[in-house]
Amino acid sequence: MNRARTLLTLLGVILGLAGGLVYSWILNPVEYTDTAPASLRQDFKEDYLSLIASAYMATGDLNRTRARLALLGVSASPEELSRLAQSRLAAGRPESEARALAQLAAVLGERPAPPMQSPSPSPERSTSSVSPTATVSPSPTIRPTSIPSPTPGAPFALLEQDPLCDPNLPASLIQVFVQDAAGEGVPGVQILVVWDNGQDRFYTGLKPELGVGYADFAMEQGTTYSLQLMEGESPVTGIVAEECVNDTGEAYPGSWLLIFQQPEVP
Amino acid sequence: MRTTPRLLFGLVLGLIIGLLFGWIIRPVEYVDTAPASLREDYRAEFILMIAEAYTQEEDLELARVRLASLGSQPPINFVIAAIDFAVEASFNQNDLQTMNRLAVDLRSMPASAEIDIP
Repeated sequence: MNRARTLLTLLGVILGLAGGLVYSWILNPVEYTDTAPASLRQDFKEDYLSLIASAYMATGDLNRTRARLALLGVSASPEELSRLAQSRLAAGRPESEARALAQLAAVLGERPAPPMQSPSPSPERSTSSVSPTATVSPSPTIRPTSIPSPTPGAPFALLEQDPLCDPNLPASLIQVFVQDAAGEGVPGVQILVVWDNGQDRFYTGLKPELGVGYADFAMEQGTTYSLQLMEGESPVTGIVAEECVNDTGEAYPGSWLLIFQQPEVP
Repeated sequence: MRTTPRLLFGLVLGLIIGLLFGWIIRPVEYVDTAPASLREDYRAEFILMIAEAYTQEEDLELARVRLASLGSQPPINFVIAAIDFAVEASFNQNDLQTMNRLAVDLRSMPASAEIDIP
């Protein structure tokens, strides 16, 4: 008798659980609403991160950018941003996104984040009554940033081109430094490198630890490269990894150092 | 005769255990969500970023593609809803103007334009 009661209770529990699961999984499944950016799927997070960078390019508001990054809950290290810039470029996303990510990588690399207060999605408050049907409003004021950006219409010119023999370099590199007229590194400058059977694009600022105006490209021995800044003058041609010799007499492929500078506007 | 109360007791117990498990022991964790499920304030912030990026990029098609991740409604609807929220939440004037500009430009586009989501 007791056993029958126990079995009945157990049957009830099983039916109850099954009923609960049928209700919660089939009849009325969970709908994700009111979620936070940190819960986004990885590909959406990458889109969001890229959007943060693009918005930063427009506003130059670093504090707000950091608050947005904190909301997203990603590390957003310069390395991570660099990787993302390259992958999005390879995926055919707009160049403006890669440029924005490079610029943000440069800024974050140059100025590590201070301790962050809990972020709020609407940090600034004041009253307003703007209607979406109003006529086009004036563009928002671009807030200043100390990170220089290329001045349209002032092409960079090759200032220096030197062969480099450094056995400590991880590979045979074309090292590029891009500076503004004041000698400050300029991030986000697109560089095109072309060789016999291929080409590649990369950006300054993706390795901010080496300078915001720095970029490099790994050469293969025996290949001749041409390099041009998209905002530059004529291309630099005939770049080949020349042979260097280390202290023990062993040969290794050398690198090139190219410095570009924007001319002063009179 | 005692079958029904026993079964009922078991059912209630099972439901209680299920709810305890689902709400306390192992509650739902929101992961792998889409921008469409963002809370209203986060959604407004997302749209503000799209509008800010638009001021720099001047690429309305790119802005539309970004807005399309919020759902199947016309992109202009998302922006108008975000502006409404922003006004209620007292966003600053610059933010409102930035979103307003995107709304005006979106409104000037033909509604039937196709959006290619990459």
